[in-house]
Amino acid sequence: MCPKTAPGRLLVVDDNKVNRLLLGRGLEQQGHTIALAENGRQALEMLHQNQFDLLLLDIQMPEMDGYQVLEKLNADLSLRDIPVIVTSGLEELDSVVRCIEMGAEDYLIKPVNPVLLRARIGACLEKKRLRDQQRDLIRRFATAEVAQDMEESGFALGGRYVEATAMFSDIRGFTTLAESQSPADTIDLLNTYYTLMFEAISGQGGVVNQMVGDGLMAIFGAPLVLSNHGEQAVLAALEMIEMIDLFNLDQTAAGKPDIRIGIGIATGQVIAGYTGTQRRATYTCVGNTVNLAARLESYTKVAGVPILVDECTRQSLGEKIRVDNLGLVPIKGLNQDVSIYSVPVGQRI
Amino acid sequence: MDTQLIIDMATFNDLKEVMGTDFVLELIDTYTLETDGLIAQIYSAQAAGDSATFGRLAHSIKSSSASMGALAFSQQARELEMLGKAGDLSGAEPMLERFSADFLIVKQSLEDLKNVS
Repeated sequence: MCPKTAPGRLLVVDDNKVNRLLLGRGLEQQGHTIALAENGRQALEMLHQNQFDLLLLDIQMPEMDGYQVLEKLNADLSLRDIPVIVTSGLEELDSVVRCIEMGAEDYLIKPVNPVLLRARIGACLEKKRLRDQQRDLIRRFATAEVAQDMEESGFALGGRYVEATAMFSDIRGFTTLAESQSPADTIDLLNTYYTLMFEAISGQGGVVNQMVGDGLMAIFGAPLVLSNHGEQAVLAALEMIEMIDLFNLDQTAAGKPDIRIGIGIATGQVIAGYTGTQRRATYTCVGNTVNLAARLESYTKVAGVPILVDECTRQSLGEKIRVDNLGLVPIKGLNQDVSIYSVPVGQRI
Repeated sequence: MDTQLIIDMATFNDLKEVMGTDFVLELIDTYTLETDGLIAQIYSAQAAGDSATFGRLAHSIKSSSASMGALAFSQQARELEMLGKAGDLSGAEPMLERFSADFLIVKQSLEDLKNVS
């Protein structure tokens, strides 16, 4: 027996009035709210005006047929998530296949069997509800990129190995700075800092996935695949420093203290995945590469340079980015000395 | 002709049972009115040599007729649909004449069923 599903708001599109009325009646009997459209063009207008949970779509129609409707839905971000069930004759299975390939969720053969109608509509609405719930949850707790990745890959909390670049950044001497000004000024400063850093990082395809106090962690190459995540991370870092320089001009003009940041970048295999619970999850990366990036960020204080990168990141850089080899240095927590490189700021790229 | 042969009673009775008798009686009027209109449009499409529209209209009649239980008539509509799809309407006229005449019988049979109900 089919589970009883909560009613939904459904749009039935069919050029034949008898078919429309029959389908509409069947769905109303099952408790759904129904709207009827007699061709694709009319259906799209209604979809733009009202919210619908599901579309029942005939294929052959005048003015705009089912394929054209599916094309328009796919191209429209606000409509692409509405599930579509195509209704067709028994001999139109080729057309059904084409519709499924174009993103239709399921199909029903006309004349529609009421039991099958109930089962398919119910399943489709349940799936949509689940997806909507997940999307709400993800949007509340994740960045847009992560939300998109989770929607596409499914809500899996399991991890995987990925090649990516990790970046850590924080403000030098922030505690002293915070003590020298009012709490409101400190929070204001942090918010400006985060806004600037987010812009530089996301501008290069990176994702900020942790913010703690004045520090942040960003990942390049996961969950979104980037062709050259090492170089993009370094370009973002250079932009971050430039933005801080501009910000400092404003600070100076307002009689407020300058800020300095340090950035550590490392590239390699990371374990990436969603950590947390079903109620609150965050995308994160762990592993040696991530640790190294964090250590390099700390080491910027020792080396007296703003940006430090590891060997793998350096190898990913094109010739246009200049680096200074600082040689092998002992890094806290690592058994072997590590080759590190400073990326001088103010380069014209 | 026997109504039984024109309208498949198993389909028709199922329809009444699932959708409700009153709804189906009203649906008969909608169906006959709509199909009259579609047949008129098929004639226009044939006159214009527009085989795509001819096929689409026949497809539409095929589908709603099957729902009403007019299975033989639905099959005739299917044959017209095939003509339209093949893009050759040269032999369509006699078929269309017979189709149009048969629809009158379907219509009468449904009227009879309405009166019985």
